[in-house]
Amino acid sequence: MNVPDQLLTTLAKGDATLSQLTQMIAVLEQREYPVRLSIGISSSATVDSLGTYLRKHALLAGVRADIMLGNYDDPIGDVDQFVRAGVGQMVLLPFFDALLPAFEAQLGTMSADAVDAKEAELRARYRLVFGKARALRLVWLGNFHRMNASADVGGDDVAEAVLARFNAALREEAAAFPNIRLIDTGDVVRTVGRQTAFDLRFYFRNKAPYSGAFMNELARRIAQASRGFGTRFHKVLVLDCDNTLWGGVVGEDLMKGIKLGPYDYPGNIFWRVQHEFAALERSGIVLCLCTKNNPADVDEVLRNHPSMVLRDARFVSKKVNWEDKPSNLRALAAELNVGLDSMVFVDDSAFECEAVRQQLPMVTTVQVPSTLSEYPRVAREIAELFLAGGVSADGADKTALYRQRAGAESAKAQFDNQEAYLASLELKVALARNVVASGGRISELSLKSNQFNLTMRRYTEAEVTRMMGDECYAVYSLNVADKFGPAGLTGVAVLRYEGQLATVENFLMSCRVIGRGVETAIWARIAADAVARGCTELGAEFIPSPKNAQVADFYDRLGLPLQSISADGARHYRAAASAFTPPDTSWIEISYVE
Amino acid sequence: MLNETTLKQVMVTMLNVDVACINDDASMDTIENWDSLRHMNLVLALEDEFKVQIPDEDAGNITSYKLIKLVLNALLVAKA
Repeated sequence: MNVPDQLLTTLAKGDATLSQLTQMIAVLEQREYPVRLSIGISSSATVDSLGTYLRKHALLAGVRADIMLGNYDDPIGDVDQFVRAGVGQMVLLPFFDALLPAFEAQLGTMSADAVDAKEAELRARYRLVFGKARALRLVWLGNFHRMNASADVGGDDVAEAVLARFNAALREEAAAFPNIRLIDTGDVVRTVGRQTAFDLRFYFRNKAPYSGAFMNELARRIAQASRGFGTRFHKVLVLDCDNTLWGGVVGEDLMKGIKLGPYDYPGNIFWRVQHEFAALERSGIVLCLCTKNNPADVDEVLRNHPSMVLRDARFVSKKVNWEDKPSNLRALAAELNVGLDSMVFVDDSAFECEAVRQQLPMVTTVQVPSTLSEYPRVAREIAELFLAGGVSADGADKTALYRQRAGAESAKAQFDNQEAYLASLELKVALARNVVASGGRISELSLKSNQFNLTMRRYTEAEVTRMMGDECYAVYSLNVADKFGPAGLTGVAVLRYEGQLATVENFLMSCRVIGRGVETAIWARIAADAVARGCTELGAEFIPSPKNAQVADFYDRLGLPLQSISADGARHYRAAASAFTPPDTSWIEISYVE
Repeated sequence: MLNETTLKQVMVTMLNVDVACINDDASMDTIENWDSLRHMNLVLALEDEFKVQIPDEDAGNITSYKLIKLVLNALLVAKA
């Protein structure tokens, strides 16, 4: 094995430390990949490490994934950004507890009206997100799940009821959009275990609730449901008979001696697995037999065994002979006119499996586990190979049902555009100028914010206080609130006045509130203040840092004319104060505090 | 006993910096890449690598090479 193959084997084993994993991914990504795709991640929790695990599972499927991270809780803005960047698919993970601060805890005391209002807002917001996301090929939508177990031993508390309601709302809104695939994140939590799924240390500090184990399982499921990010298209399930469809060897034990039936071990395991395979056949998967047996023996079981689930008619083609399995598989592929890579082959014999793996590595080969109680789980994994995104026969019915309901919903949709949605939020911005009491929070925000920070200039509290008392400076801060409550002091602009020129020394915001027009709403007033001081010109600049690329064109969007770009990428803007008109944000109510 | 070479390697990987950057003066203030998100992954990677559980109150505060060494040494001694 060469080095990259060894790394892939280690990667697949999944016992590497986080540091080793990061290193292995970096090394493996240096190779050339025939398939390269970009995935955007948008969430109302900090989920950056999901990117690492998506890259891992993509590499395991032979695909190079480039990850683009969205902002905190800005799905609308994220979709815009992803579409502009040409991202093909997006993982969208709304986080239940972050719908409002400590939402799960708040629910115990929230009024029914407030919950209704939140649901209406949720529907309106995600309807917009989904509508915009039509431009993406695929959207993986994680549903809501709880972080804390119910204190009620019956699991029946307010949070549980609201969770079910909000999940139904998400499903209904999503149903009208065929590019959306739901991922049951609650089941991911159950699979890895609630204790393991969360790391609360970083939830309260960084809004990052999930552990690596959760992220890995979520990424694995996405890879699985996307059939290895589009690299696998399995259509045909080829089954051996003895010790695969039933226990025992029909040629020796005869039909009466084989183990198959609903009640007794080990026949009940084979009977159960046959039901799994039958469900696959019903959803459109082609079943074939490939077994070394006398045709008459097998036919008798298919026709006459009382507990046989997979009857003769279920099989499109049967290779019951004494030929070697690779030859039979080749013949099946030719007969069905499908590629060998669309076949999954199941056999109990290590010898047969190895022969197929050696000679036909493109066939996905699965050996029946020697511990028989594991077989139903393996059968589920086989089903996952075929079913993309959990779409099954009854799933399709459900989708149709949801589609009808969503159609009725959207007929009475209150919000047909982003502005109407934003207006429904009743956004209020209190713009304050030189409020000394806020100095501490202003300094803190300037030290902490990285992404929405135009020049990366940072200020200590003493500097903030000094500038507030200095004629040549003004420090603006903004408090944002909407109908669901206050978001606190979440933006700062520092203005420097020199003669007739008012320069924005820095403008920064917390990620919590971007994407709602707040960032543009304040500038009319700031410009008017500058004019009142006798300034005729406005200046501003963007200084790039490794983290603030998302605001590189902020002043362009604000409508300031670009003067020049320096060699280091800094962008300089200048405008006549009287001619400056920021974009319309009439949905925001602005008040002014001095 | 703390293996400093391993520690440095983990920091180099998780902070995505050159090994020369990791010295006794290295901290969140001197390394631009070392932001709060990378810090989180660094703490998780250190726990993974050294098989320790960094207590809540230390997790947010070990923002320099020296502090990380101090805390890891204490945890490894306690474990031994």
